[in-house]
Amino acid sequence: MQVLWIITSVGFLFVLIMLINRRLLREQYSMLWLLFGVVMLILSVRVQIIDALADAAGIDYAPALLFLVGILFCVALILHLTVIVSKLSEKVIRLTQELGILHHELHERKRSDS
Amino acid sequence: MNAVISKMDGTVSGESLLQGGTFSKILIIIPAYNEEHSISHVIHDVKTHCPSAHILVINDGSKDRTQEVAEANGAAVITLPTNLGIGGAMQTGYRYAHRYGYDVAVQVDGDGQHKAEQLHLILSPVLSGKADLAIGSRFIEQTGFLSSATRRVGIKILSTIVSAMTRKRVLDVTSGFRAANKRAIAVFQSDYATDYPEVDSIVLIHRSGLRTSEVAVVMEARTGGTSSINAMRSVYYMIKVTLALFIRSLKATKPVEVQP
Repeated sequence: MQVLWIITSVGFLFVLIMLINRRLLREQYSMLWLLFGVVMLILSVRVQIIDALADAAGIDYAPALLFLVGILFCVALILHLTVIVSKLSEKVIRLTQELGILHHELHERKRSDS
Repeated sequence: MNAVISKMDGTVSGESLLQGGTFSKILIIIPAYNEEHSISHVIHDVKTHCPSAHILVINDGSKDRTQEVAEANGAAVITLPTNLGIGGAMQTGYRYAHRYGYDVAVQVDGDGQHKAEQLHLILSPVLSGKADLAIGSRFIEQTGFLSSATRRVGIKILSTIVSAMTRKRVLDVTSGFRAANKRAIAVFQSDYATDYPEVDSIVLIHRSGLRTSEVAVVMEARTGGTSSINAMRSVYYMIKVTLALFIRSLKATKPVEVQP
């Protein structure tokens, strides 16, 4: 079973590196995902870490800790992405408005020239 | 009133626009989305009653011939490459007004429900310095086209919330017939809601330390096109606008330095 986790982690890292290689991921996000992939690999190689952490946190069922951390990570990531989408739409609106105004100015200039 | 008149735009005339011996540069912003049937009427109406003002049609990514019709009728047209919604379109106009130093920017909807013969009503509180944003209101004298009963209930609810938030009674909070002076233009060019901006912008003006004034006007039923708010969207509109008002109160707002 552990072999499966290791293969999954390595596969995940492989996909990541491929995406970075093809420039489909910006650095700031590739860092985050690389970190995530490495943690996944470490945990699949040394499963005891989770047991030790769960023990330290007073959680009887060790996988629950994994789920908790996973869900929290997802929520944080989605929030982060929403912030990014907000910024992007703000920028798109600004650019659209600027483009409209510039286009108008160009049109006016051309008309006064001729 | 910081009224200027440049050589290029030296065609300002008309009794109602003459305040204290100085002329003001006025920009009439007409946001239009698929309004090819009503836009020419609106442009002519404004030209007849306010010949000195500059007319700027913001063609918000229309799929019809709005741009051609507006240009053929002698209006300046800014065409947005994509549809931004009424707020994004109006903000384009405010940014233009800000950039070219207009003293007053007036919103007149492209669907023909605002009458240009009443422009002087919303211009006068702004030109005289009584208010930074003048809002044309259907509900002060309760005449003309007042919208459906259900919509009036919705507007009443929003009016109550806005009045409580601003500690000033505003009746027609959804009215798009409004005039903004330089200070209000400066606020709007940097911060204006994209979807349903009218209600939100009243609260924004107050939070920026500026004043609104509501004046009685008469509106007409729209002459063409379809309203951006249909029955299906009304509930969504109410929820969204109400939430936006509360979110607005969470946003940090920098007061505008009030000086002429």
